[in-house]
Amino acid sequence: MAYIKWIGDYATGINVIDSQHKRIVHYINQLGDAQNMNEPELTGEVLMNLVDYTLSHFAFEESLMEDVGYDAAAIHIKTHDAFREKIKNYKKRYKAGEDVAEELNQLLNIWLVSHIQDDDGSYVPMVKEKIPEINGDETQSWIKYKIKQFFK
Amino acid sequence: MAHIKWTDDLNTSIQVIDGQHHRIVEYINMLDDISSSHEKDKVEKVLNELVDYTLSHFAFEESLMEDAGYSFINGHKRVHQLFVKRVGDFLQRFKMGEDIVDELLMMLKSWLINHIRSDDNDYVAIVKSNMENINTASNDGWLKKSVKKFFG
Repeated sequence: MAYIKWIGDYATGINVIDSQHKRIVHYINQLGDAQNMNEPELTGEVLMNLVDYTLSHFAFEESLMEDVGYDAAAIHIKTHDAFREKIKNYKKRYKAGEDVAEELNQLLNIWLVSHIQDDDGSYVPMVKEKIPEINGDETQSWIKYKIKQFFK
Repeated sequence: MAHIKWTDDLNTSIQVIDGQHHRIVEYINMLDDISSSHEKDKVEKVLNELVDYTLSHFAFEESLMEDAGYSFINGHKRVHQLFVKRVGDFLQRFKMGEDIVDELLMMLKSWLINHIRSDDNDYVAIVKSNMENINTASNDGWLKKSVKKFFG
């Protein structure tokens, strides 16, 4: 199974999003390990965790896009929906006893990298502009953000 | 199943939050202990307590984030909501007589650990600095009041 190596290019610069993406990468690799070790029980556990965590990440990201008024949010959410549907099917097939790990691993490998680089790349600049917390001094930048919001 | 073991990286350094996380871990471990007994009443009791306590904890945590002006609060709240819905679905299945405890335990364990490490970790700096400001403004009762408000 293919492994993903986290590289600097994948970082969006928004800590909380990067940490979620890293977690997904970790699960994808763990799924490969479980499959290589031929541990069906562990594979099942990782698979469920991976699905749950990805859905949670989507929810977080969608709310962030809405917050900053990202104009392509609807399209982005639609791609999430399509993906949600796909992984729901995998989950169903897995529960019915099918071995879906390899297929899911491949799908996620391709999807995650393009999701980070293409889809997320387009809303991240807006988040950075509107939520300056990521610049470092959180309290200060938040105050500046609020001041800007009310007194611009 | 194995108990959740508290490791240092689960400490947020906000004492009141760590205390609540510890309590949730205790509930999960308690559920783990009695799950093998298959005594539905006992399982149901712990399940309800776990859910109640977790909901209070979420409300408390969200109010800390709000007070501090944490930028990603809406995303964080959305992740909480999704989790509550997920657990609600499990409870529904449990009430219908399905044995969901092992699957639920697996989800709870990984969800909590992921959530503390990634999502909670992200608000710590701003919440902590806000709490310190409030305390130095000789308003020591604020924390006690907040805890009382959510946990009675």
